[in-house]
Amino acid sequence: MRRLHLFVVVVLVSVAALAAQTPTGVGPGQGAPLGPMVSGPDFSGSWRPQQLVTESQTAAGDLVDFGGIPLNDAARLYALSWPASRQTVKQHQCMGYVTPYFWYAPANYRIWEERDQFTQRLTAWRFYGQIAQGDRTVYMDGRPHPPAYAPHTFAGFSTGEYEGNTLTVTTTHLKRGWIKANGVPQSDAATVVEHYIRHGDVITMLAVIDDPVYLSEPLSKASMLVRMEKDPDAWLYPCDDSEQILGRKNDTVPNHLFGQNPYAREYAGKRKLPVVAALGGVDTVYPQVIGLRDDEATVKARMMPSGPAAVSRAPDPTPNDGQIHVFRVADNVYMLAGDGANIAVQVGPQGALVVDTGAGKLSDKVIESIKTLSAKPIQFIVNTSFHADHTGGNQKVAAAGADPSVTGSFFSMQFQGAGAGATIISQLNTQVRMLANKLAAPPTDTFVEDRRRKFYNGEAVEAFPQPNAITDGDSVVHFRRADVIVAGDVFTTTQYPFIDTANGGSIQGEIQALNFILDRTVYVHDEDGGTLIIPGHGRVTDEWEVAEYRDMLVIIRDRVQALIKSGATLQQALAARPTFDYDVRYGATTGAWTTDKFVEAVYTSLKTPPKAGR
Amino acid sequence: MTGYWVSVVGEDWRWRAFPQKGDYGAVPVNAAARRIADAWDPAKDAAAGDDCKAYAAPSVMRIPGRLHVTWQDNQTLKIETDAGKQTRLLYFSTPPAAQAVDWQGSSKADWDLGNAGAGGLFFGGGGGRGGPQGGSLKVVTTKMRPGYVTRNGVPYSENATLTEYYDLVKEKNGTQYLVLTSMLDDPAYMSQPMWTAVHFRKQADAGGWNPAGCGGK
Repeated sequence: MRRLHLFVVVVLVSVAALAAQTPTGVGPGQGAPLGPMVSGPDFSGSWRPQQLVTESQTAAGDLVDFGGIPLNDAARLYALSWPASRQTVKQHQCMGYVTPYFWYAPANYRIWEERDQFTQRLTAWRFYGQIAQGDRTVYMDGRPHPPAYAPHTFAGFSTGEYEGNTLTVTTTHLKRGWIKANGVPQSDAATVVEHYIRHGDVITMLAVIDDPVYLSEPLSKASMLVRMEKDPDAWLYPCDDSEQILGRKNDTVPNHLFGQNPYAREYAGKRKLPVVAALGGVDTVYPQVIGLRDDEATVKARMMPSGPAAVSRAPDPTPNDGQIHVFRVADNVYMLAGDGANIAVQVGPQGALVVDTGAGKLSDKVIESIKTLSAKPIQFIVNTSFHADHTGGNQKVAAAGADPSVTGSFFSMQFQGAGAGATIISQLNTQVRMLANKLAAPPTDTFVEDRRRKFYNGEAVEAFPQPNAITDGDSVVHFRRADVIVAGDVFTTTQYPFIDTANGGSIQGEIQALNFILDRTVYVHDEDGGTLIIPGHGRVTDEWEVAEYRDMLVIIRDRVQALIKSGATLQQALAARPTFDYDVRYGATTGAWTTDKFVEAVYTSLKTPPKAGR
Repeated sequence: MTGYWVSVVGEDWRWRAFPQKGDYGAVPVNAAARRIADAWDPAKDAAAGDDCKAYAAPSVMRIPGRLHVTWQDNQTLKIETDAGKQTRLLYFSTPPAAQAVDWQGSSKADWDLGNAGAGGLFFGGGGGRGGPQGGSLKVVTTKMRPGYVTRNGVPYSENATLTEYYDLVKEKNGTQYLVLTSMLDDPAYMSQPMWTAVHFRKQADAGGWNPAGCGGK
């Protein structure tokens, strides 16, 4: 029991620390800006959700009841492809709650205030939900929101202000979660504004979700909390993803193919409601919903991809301002963003170890930034891929690692080029591809099948080859003490994976590489925190986003595989739009990596998988 | 608060737009109310000229539709609904004593400043139009003709009391919402007070305003 208590304390402290994460890592009252003097209604106390006149605003909702939600066509198909059995997937078993969904669990809530010890100014409101141990901090001290490339959490990052008798809370940096846990998604690009109004023992909340990815217009919804005279206790809700389906392969993600959800009409049918209304959309939000009547053509159209090709509506978190932005990921591991692919830097008493060197357009600034982190030489560079946006800075960054003190020593005999510059390490095929493509400064120190490991700066560092993923020479790098994984282009948050079939990439190898990462990650609480991931492009994440990405690729693979099985040509597969529900998040119709090229890569690598081995 | 507002039906669409007999949702009905609701016969109501039983003060604000809010005079706020063509008069002064018992009852309005911080933003308060700022509009309605709290026959009695709070919130993009929190207290038919929260979005004009009689006639 003592061990359980200790575990619970550790979890709570960790969750609180995660919720309090800021760009500077400073919590309220501990050196944070003093902020404005604010006052308003007191929301402190224990609360329970008030069932409204209906039962609809509970945590889950019925399958295929999407009515009243201004979801777009992509969100509808996302939800229609979602079976409840998706929750059996390991990473879905302990999924956290985003706001405002956070408030709809049929359980207890506690609200309290944080005040500066010395000035007694209100620094933050804290919201704690019994279900899933949701823990939100609403900063009232005027601090800014973190940069776009910072991690997201299920709680998000919230700031508040009083407007008369209303507390208005703005939340960003949310993970992909639920608008309704029957498959209706809320994307990681959503911003939520909540208005809290207290009338005696009742709080009325109006939440407005602005989600450019999955909503046609902002979704507003009202809900209520009722104050409880007595604290109900029993606040803990630990969750372990320990349920297993024996024999299931880890590239299995339950999903319905387009048009094949067997429950699509069940909710409406049982209640004599228009199916078209149950499928949701803007026309179900306002009074005209009363006039909706089914016609089969409309119903069928809403269950299949249609309309023009979509592109990602999520903002690109990459700062493309000609500067290098340094973000401390964990301990002594940093992410440098701004020059093509993300760069990871581990520093310590021995020197700097750099993973990827960017596109090479801002190498001087990259080197300057690394020098602000460590005065020691850059001794090692690891390339996760041969692609130019990961290796373009090799020459300059390696040269910046020149260190005459090791020239002629055993060190320089052990590591090729040491002394003249940093040693560049990669999987063999990365070296081969760079030489073949006459790219500057190819790796000089290679490995093939086994991991390459090194104890550096007091930390175990491992580079793992990922066969036939993006290419045939990919690696992911794990800093084990900091518990940070550098994924390279195996995982990005900005586009479909750039599966380079001409250079050995494949959809199945890509899925296996993502599962490899997921086999090494551990979250702190409910799919938040723990092992952090630096993607090839985009923002820092934890395992949740990697799992979401893996799920997406498995689902798209299943669709394309079904098309191939039915005899579809590539053109027919493209026309079937197997990525429809994800294009609003990852799609592109222009540029180097379009949705069509991605689908073609999936189709091609399924029809003609790369040969095993290297 | 004046102007045109459209109700955001939201995820309660099933109950608000397509109420089915016997589907009470979370309405805290008691046994007496359940007996009446289970015997609900809309044709019988129509034949008796009681089409508007579900368009009374406790229910009309939840029926999908639009509101038109104006000041009838400095002491009386008027809310018209296009659904059921109802008119609610909210009196900041004492409601007329001789007012006949009808679906909308007798409504006393006050600015509730209890929760307002320093300098509210929205309501131009006081005893009617103008005056102190901040807080909510609180309305207490009594003397309502017995009717339905939902459009599927769940009853309220002549002794019911409806307490409402109207709050305005404004998004940074300029969108305005009217949030209505209400409590219906009716020991005759409910095991506990019924709380509801609905909201409306401000319209720039009268677009969509489509007055129709009770039952859509």
